Amino acid sequence: MKKLLITLLLVSLSATAAHAGLKVIGKGDNMRLDPSNFPPQMKANYEIVRVRCVKCHTLERTIVAVQTGVAPISGQPFDRNATKAYGVKMLRKPDSNMSKPEVKASVELLNYLLSEAER
Amino acid sequence: MSSRKSSLVLALPLLALTLLQLSLPKGAHAIPAFSRQFKTECSTCHTIYPELNEFGDAFLKNGYVYPGKPGEAVQPADKKEGKIEGLWLSGLPELLPVSFTGTLDVAYNNDAFDGNKVDLSTRSLRLQAGGAFRDVAGFFLTYNLYSQGTQTSATASSSPASNANTPPSNSPDIYEMYAIWRHAFGTPINFRIGRMEPKLSLWKKSNRVILTPSYASTAYTVGSSFSQGSTPFSLDAPEDALEVNAVLGNRVFLAGGVVDRNGQKNKDGYGHISVKLGGTDFLGHEPEIDLESDSVWDYLSLTLGGFGYAGSNGKFNDRGVAQFKNEFYRAGAEADLLYKRFHLKGSGAFGRDDNPTFSSTAPTPIDSKAYAVEGEYMFGAPVNLITLFRYEYQKDLNGRTRRYIPAVSYAPLQNTKVSLEYIFTDAPSGIQRLTLASLAISF
Repeated sequence: MKKLLITLLLVSLSATAAHAGLKVIGKGDNMRLDPSNFPPQMKANYEIVRVRCVKCHTLERTIVAVQTGVAPISGQPFDRNATKAYGVKMLRKPDSNMSKPEVKASVELLNYLLSEAER
Repeated sequence: MSSRKSSLVLALPLLALTLLQLSLPKGAHAIPAFSRQFKTECSTCHTIYPELNEFGDAFLKNGYVYPGKPGEAVQPADKKEGKIEGLWLSGLPELLPVSFTGTLDVAYNNDAFDGNKVDLSTRSLRLQAGGAFRDVAGFFLTYNLYSQGTQTSATASSSPASNANTPPSNSPDIYEMYAIWRHAFGTPINFRIGRMEPKLSLWKKSNRVILTPSYASTAYTVGSSFSQGSTPFSLDAPEDALEVNAVLGNRVFLAGGVVDRNGQKNKDGYGHISVKLGGTDFLGHEPEIDLESDSVWDYLSLTLGGFGYAGSNGKFNDRGVAQFKNEFYRAGAEADLLYKRFHLKGSGAFGRDDNPTFSSTAPTPIDSKAYAVEGEYMFGAPVNLITLFRYEYQKDLNGRTRRYIPAVSYAPLQNTKVSLEYIFTDAPSGIQRLTLASLAISF
């Protein structure tokens, strides 16, 4: 019975920790990532995303997409091809005010987050 | 035994917790129809409502289905996931796809015939519904619940009298109501049937920052509503039509249709072609952009369009049969250029009417033309302020008319818009100056 308990506990923990690579702070509109374990370059990229993206939408939208692999609005897969497409979309959005280097950094971060979420 | 019991007591909640976590949906999925249905903001599809951005145009062309990812069609089973099965099987949207737009207008007309320079009497309430049934069929409805005054009509801005304190009676009507059979038989072809604006111009009549319709390409009239016996026909008026359209190669859009006009057996026919260079394609796919180097096409998109319309109309007799027929045609070309925050729209159209006044004795053919240039600049993130200037020219039965419209539109919230426009009209009847302020709220 103890074995069963331990097994269930492990399964339960693995279910909750499916995105253990990403530390998420807060909920809803206040949802953020904890970048303390990010490599230095990704920390810098995260600062760009944290400042730029939230001008038009919450970080929750991005984090949910990374965590689930599904873009929450379109319902389409959110993978490495999608991160590039979203980056281009934001670059071309007249009101995004994002430069090409900023978009490139954001796409790199999203790809890094996807890798972390898959671990 | 008691140890086993206590273990079981612990095991059951853990098992339930585990199953619950494994059975929860992994994320939100798009649901049918527009902002409320997709849980996304107005700026996904609009600059300032109701003007569409590139993605909004793709959404429109896609029959009100959220444009997908290139080359990866979502399987029906995936579409069903996360939705209420009964509603999905019935083809019903999970939310009633209905919205309203209310407008309050204030006009200042120094030349109002009754001396009442400031007119607060115009307002309207419009119901809109739209969406798709299981991505197979789309639909759209615009119903004018209430309108008073005619400031947003085609003739209002050039007609001081109609903007004075003489609001017509409330006349509820269906402005548009059509259904779309999307991707018929698995092809890119869509069938659209119902009451609709024929697809001619690159922009729907409502696809403007300000609602004063542009003469060119489609709103110009050959007749005048003030001329006895003539009809102010315009191409962008809703018609009872059957249309076939398709996006080909992601960047070419073709449309053609027939219009059933009351009181006559002859049908009108029309066709449209548009090609998009650069930018988001007609299916909503982002362009391939090299993030390592710069190109002018990173931000530039150019859409070119052309159209033709041929038909006839007439004056109804007491049995509702058209007589003293007027055979006419229109042809036009347009260009839409977007570069970062700058948006330029250019259009021109010409036509011929062989009996525009429905004369029974001496038909007098007339050639007409109209062209317009409109430049916009967007401010804010997301866009909440647009300044624009439009110049337009029309030559028709009444002579030459030039119109200059500087305007500004501000959206403190994405569903609330305040616009101010000054319309200077140099017409054969004289100079007209009209200042129009409008508050529009959509919910």
